[in-house]
Amino acid sequence: MAASRWLELEREAREVRRRMADWDFIRRQPLRVRLALEYYIETGDLYVASRIAGVTVEEMNELRVRANIPNVA
Amino acid sequence: MFAVADTCFLIDWARWRRRDALFGVFRTVFVPESVLGEVRSEATLSWVVESMAQGRLSLFTETPDLIEEARSLVERTRLVPGLRGVDLPEAVCLVAGRRWRYVVLTENRGVLMAADILEEYRGVRVWRALEVIAAALRSGVIASSRPAEVFAEYEEDTKHFFPRRDLEAVLHELGGEA
Repeated sequence: MAASRWLELEREAREVRRRMADWDFIRRQPLRVRLALEYYIETGDLYVASRIAGVTVEEMNELRVRANIPNVA
Repeated sequence: MFAVADTCFLIDWARWRRRDALFGVFRTVFVPESVLGEVRSEATLSWVVESMAQGRLSLFTETPDLIEEARSLVERTRLVPGLRGVDLPEAVCLVAGRRWRYVVLTENRGVLMAADILEEYRGVRVWRALEVIAAALRSGVIASSRPAEVFAEYEEDTKHFFPRRDLEAVLHELGGEA
Protein backbone atom coordinates (compact mmCIF):
# COMPACT_ATOMS: atom_id res chain seq x y z
CA MET A 1 0.00 0.00 0.00
CA ALA A 2 1.32 3.45 -0.85
CA ALA A 3 2.43 5.71 2.02
CA SER A 4 -0.18 8.26 0.90
CA ARG A 5 -2.94 5.67 1.42
CA TRP A 6 -1.68 4.96 4.95
CA LEU A 7 -1.75 8.70 5.67
CA GLU A 8 -5.30 8.89 4.38
CA LEU A 9 -6.33 6.03 6.70
CA GLU A 10 -4.65 7.84 9.60
CA ARG A 11 -6.59 11.00 8.82
CA GLU A 12 -9.89 9.10 8.64
CA ALA A 13 -9.22 7.33 11.95
CA ARG A 14 -8.37 10.64 13.64
CA GLU A 15 -11.62 12.17 12.41
CA VAL A 16 -13.63 9.24 13.82
CA ARG A 17 -11.90 9.57 17.21
CA ARG A 18 -12.45 13.35 17.30
CA ARG A 19 -16.09 13.06 16.30
CA MET A 20 -17.04 10.35 18.78
CA ALA A 21 -15.05 11.55 21.79
CA ASP A 22 -16.87 12.82 24.87
CA TRP A 23 -15.16 16.19 25.03
CA ASP A 24 -16.98 17.23 28.23
CA PHE A 25 -15.53 14.18 29.99
CA ILE A 26 -12.08 14.90 28.60
CA ARG A 27 -12.13 18.56 29.71
CA ARG A 28 -13.02 17.50 33.26
CA GLN A 29 -9.93 15.30 33.66
CA PRO A 30 -6.72 16.23 35.50
CA LEU A 31 -4.03 17.78 33.29
CA ARG A 32 -2.00 14.67 32.49
CA VAL A 33 -5.05 12.52 31.74
CA ARG A 34 -6.63 15.24 29.61
CA LEU A 35 -3.46 15.72 27.58
CA ALA A 36 -3.03 11.95 27.23
CA LEU A 37 -6.58 11.54 25.91
CA GLU A 38 -6.05 14.40 23.46
CA TYR A 39 -2.78 12.80 22.37
CA TYR A 40 -4.59 9.50 21.83
CA ILE A 41 -7.26 11.19 19.73
CA GLU A 42 -4.59 12.74 17.52
CA THR A 43 -2.36 9.68 17.16
CA GLY A 44 -4.21 6.52 18.22
CA ASP A 45 -1.09 5.56 20.19
CA LEU A 46 -2.25 4.04 23.46
CA TYR A 47 1.20 3.20 24.78
CA VAL A 48 2.59 6.73 24.63
CA ALA A 49 -0.72 8.11 25.90
CA SER A 50 -0.44 5.84 28.95
CA ARG A 51 3.05 7.20 29.65
CA ILE A 52 1.80 10.77 29.40
CA ALA A 53 -1.00 10.01 31.86
CA GLY A 54 1.30 8.04 34.16
CA VAL A 55 -0.85 4.89 34.13
CA THR A 56 -0.60 1.40 32.64
CA VAL A 57 -1.79 0.74 29.12
CA GLU A 58 -4.83 -1.10 30.44
CA GLU A 59 -5.75 1.80 32.72
CA MET A 60 -5.32 4.15 29.76
CA ASN A 61 -7.61 1.92 27.75
CA GLU A 62 -10.26 2.22 30.46
CA LEU A 63 -9.96 6.01 30.27
CA ARG A 64 -10.30 5.78 26.48
CA VAL A 65 -13.52 3.77 26.85
CA ARG A 66 -14.91 6.17 29.46
CA ALA A 67 -14.12 9.07 27.14
CA ASN A 68 -16.01 7.22 24.36
CA ILE A 69 -13.01 7.31 22.05
CA PRO A 70 -13.11 4.37 19.66
CA ASN A 71 -10.03 2.29 18.94
CA VAL A 72 -10.03 2.59 15.17
CA ALA A 73 -8.11 -0.30 13.65
CA MET B 1 -0.03 -21.62 14.44
CA PHE B 2 1.72 -19.35 16.94
CA ALA B 3 1.13 -15.66 17.54
CA VAL B 4 2.60 -12.90 19.67
CA ALA B 5 0.26 -10.25 21.06
CA ASP B 6 1.03 -6.67 21.96
CA THR B 7 -0.69 -4.77 24.74
CA CYS B 8 -3.19 -2.81 22.70
CA PHE B 9 -4.49 -5.99 21.09
CA LEU B 10 -4.64 -8.09 24.25
CA ILE B 11 -6.40 -5.65 26.54
CA ASP B 12 -9.07 -4.91 23.96
CA TRP B 13 -9.51 -8.55 23.07
CA ALA B 14 -9.85 -9.51 26.75
CA ARG B 15 -12.99 -7.37 27.01
CA TRP B 16 -14.82 -9.38 24.34
CA ARG B 17 -17.46 -11.93 25.32
CA ARG B 18 -15.96 -14.46 22.85
CA ARG B 19 -12.34 -13.85 23.83
CA ASP B 20 -11.52 -17.58 24.12
CA ALA B 21 -12.02 -17.91 20.36
CA LEU B 22 -8.43 -16.70 20.13
CA PHE B 23 -7.27 -20.14 21.23
CA GLY B 24 -9.21 -21.87 18.49
CA VAL B 25 -7.29 -19.86 15.92
CA PHE B 26 -3.82 -20.11 17.49
CA ARG B 27 -2.13 -23.01 19.24
CA THR B 28 -0.34 -20.63 21.61
CA VAL B 29 -0.26 -16.86 21.88
CA PHE B 30 2.95 -15.47 23.32
CA VAL B 31 2.70 -12.52 25.69
CA PRO B 32 5.88 -10.47 26.14
CA GLU B 33 6.80 -9.70 29.74
CA SER B 34 6.46 -5.99 28.99
CA VAL B 35 2.82 -6.60 27.94
CA LEU B 36 2.02 -8.58 31.10
CA GLY B 37 3.18 -5.64 33.21
CA GLU B 38 0.59 -3.38 31.59
CA VAL B 39 -2.37 -5.50 32.70
CA ARG B 40 -3.88 -4.45 36.04
CA SER B 41 -7.60 -5.16 36.20
CA GLU B 42 -8.74 -8.29 37.97
CA ALA B 43 -10.92 -9.37 35.04
CA THR B 44 -8.14 -9.19 32.45
CA LEU B 45 -5.42 -10.46 34.74
CA SER B 46 -7.52 -13.46 35.78
CA TRP B 47 -8.17 -14.38 32.16
CA VAL B 48 -4.49 -14.00 31.25
CA VAL B 49 -3.25 -16.05 34.20
CA GLU B 50 -5.87 -18.76 33.72
CA SER B 51 -5.01 -18.99 30.02
CA MET B 52 -1.32 -19.20 30.86
CA ALA B 53 -1.98 -22.03 33.31
CA GLN B 54 -3.80 -23.86 30.52
CA GLY B 55 -0.91 -23.29 28.12
CA ARG B 56 -2.98 -21.21 25.73
CA LEU B 57 -1.11 -18.00 26.49
CA SER B 58 2.61 -18.26 27.12
CA LEU B 59 5.09 -15.82 28.58
CA PHE B 60 7.61 -14.44 26.08
CA THR B 61 10.81 -13.16 27.62
CA GLU B 62 12.58 -10.53 25.56
CA THR B 63 16.31 -11.20 25.07
CA PRO B 64 18.91 -8.41 24.81
CA ASP B 65 19.58 -9.05 21.11
CA LEU B 66 15.87 -8.97 20.32
CA ILE B 67 15.48 -5.69 22.19
CA GLU B 68 18.48 -4.30 20.30
CA GLU B 69 16.87 -5.16 16.97
CA ALA B 70 13.57 -3.71 18.20
CA ARG B 71 15.31 -0.45 19.16
CA SER B 72 16.81 -0.29 15.71
CA LEU B 73 13.34 -0.82 14.23
CA VAL B 74 11.96 2.00 16.40
CA GLU B 75 14.60 4.34 14.95
CA ARG B 76 13.97 3.20 11.38
CA THR B 77 10.25 3.90 11.61
CA ARG B 78 11.14 7.46 12.54
CA LEU B 79 13.45 7.91 9.60
CA VAL B 80 11.05 6.93 6.82
CA PRO B 81 8.89 9.87 5.70
CA GLY B 82 5.18 9.14 6.06
CA LEU B 83 5.75 6.10 8.26
CA ARG B 84 4.18 6.27 11.68
CA GLY B 85 6.62 5.64 14.51
CA VAL B 86 6.54 2.30 16.31
CA ASP B 87 7.28 2.16 20.05
CA LEU B 88 9.51 -0.44 21.65
CA PRO B 89 6.82 -2.86 22.96
CA GLU B 90 5.21 -3.15 19.53
CA ALA B 91 8.61 -3.33 17.84
CA VAL B 92 9.50 -6.31 20.05
CA CYS B 93 6.44 -8.15 18.73
CA LEU B 94 7.23 -7.34 15.11
CA VAL B 95 10.82 -8.53 15.50
CA ALA B 96 9.60 -11.75 17.17
CA GLY B 97 7.14 -12.21 14.32
CA ARG B 98 9.92 -11.91 11.75
CA ARG B 99 12.35 -14.18 13.60
CA TRP B 100 9.99 -17.02 14.44
CA ARG B 101 7.22 -16.51 11.87
CA TYR B 102 4.66 -15.75 14.55
CA VAL B 103 1.53 -13.88 13.55
CA VAL B 104 1.77 -10.46 15.19
CA LEU B 105 -1.44 -9.41 16.91
CA THR B 106 -1.76 -5.65 17.23
CA GLU B 107 -4.09 -2.72 16.76
CA ASN B 108 -1.17 -0.37 16.23
CA ARG B 109 -1.24 1.14 12.77
CA GLY B 110 2.48 1.91 12.93
CA VAL B 111 3.18 -1.83 13.05
CA LEU B 112 0.90 -2.45 10.07
CA MET B 113 2.68 0.30 8.15
CA ALA B 114 6.15 -0.96 9.08
CA ALA B 115 5.29 -4.50 7.93
CA ASP B 116 4.01 -3.06 4.68
CA ILE B 117 6.75 -0.54 3.94
CA LEU B 118 10.01 -1.85 5.46
CA GLU B 119 11.40 -4.54 3.18
CA GLU B 120 12.83 -6.91 5.81
CA TYR B 121 9.51 -7.00 7.69
CA ARG B 122 7.31 -7.28 4.62
CA GLY B 123 6.65 -10.99 4.97
CA VAL B 124 5.50 -10.78 8.58
CA ARG B 125 1.80 -11.50 9.06
CA VAL B 126 0.25 -8.73 11.13
CA TRP B 127 -3.35 -9.26 12.21
CA ARG B 128 -5.78 -6.97 13.94
CA ALA B 129 -8.89 -8.18 15.76
CA LEU B 130 -10.60 -7.87 12.38
CA GLU B 131 -8.42 -10.57 10.84
CA VAL B 132 -8.54 -12.81 13.93
CA ILE B 133 -12.34 -12.73 14.05
CA ALA B 134 -12.48 -13.36 10.31
CA ALA B 135 -10.18 -16.38 10.74
CA ALA B 136 -12.33 -17.66 13.61
CA LEU B 137 -15.48 -17.34 11.50
CA ARG B 138 -13.85 -18.88 8.43
CA SER B 139 -12.59 -21.90 10.35
CA GLY B 140 -15.79 -22.44 12.32
CA VAL B 141 -14.20 -21.61 15.67
CA ILE B 142 -17.03 -19.09 15.87
CA ALA B 143 -20.19 -20.51 14.36
CA SER B 144 -22.50 -17.79 13.11
CA SER B 145 -24.66 -17.31 10.08
CA ARG B 146 -24.54 -13.57 10.67
CA PRO B 147 -20.88 -12.52 10.73
CA ALA B 148 -21.75 -8.82 10.86
CA GLU B 149 -23.30 -9.36 14.28
CA VAL B 150 -20.11 -10.94 15.58
CA PHE B 151 -18.06 -7.90 14.54
CA ALA B 152 -20.73 -5.62 16.01
CA GLU B 153 -20.46 -7.48 19.32
CA TYR B 154 -16.75 -6.84 19.36
CA GLU B 155 -17.25 -3.14 18.70
CA GLU B 156 -19.86 -2.98 21.44
CA ASP B 157 -17.79 -4.82 24.08
CA THR B 158 -14.48 -3.07 23.41
CA LYS B 159 -15.45 0.37 22.01
CA HIS B 160 -13.51 -0.60 18.94
CA PHE B 161 -14.31 0.77 15.50
CA PHE B 162 -13.47 -1.30 12.43
CA PRO B 163 -12.72 0.85 9.39
CA ARG B 164 -15.86 0.39 7.27
CA ARG B 165 -14.08 -0.44 4.02
CA ASP B 166 -12.01 -3.15 5.73
CA LEU B 167 -15.05 -4.57 7.49
CA GLU B 168 -17.12 -4.60 4.31
CA ALA B 169 -14.33 -6.39 2.44
CA VAL B 170 -14.11 -9.06 5.16
CA LEU B 171 -17.89 -9.53 5.31
CA HIS B 172 -18.04 -9.82 1.54
CA GLU B 173 -15.32 -12.49 1.61
CA LEU B 174 -17.15 -14.35 4.38
CA GLY B 175 -20.38 -14.21 2.40
CA GLY B 176 -22.20 -12.20 5.01
CA GLU B 177 -24.04 -8.96 4.75
CA ALA B 178 -21.95 -5.78 4.60
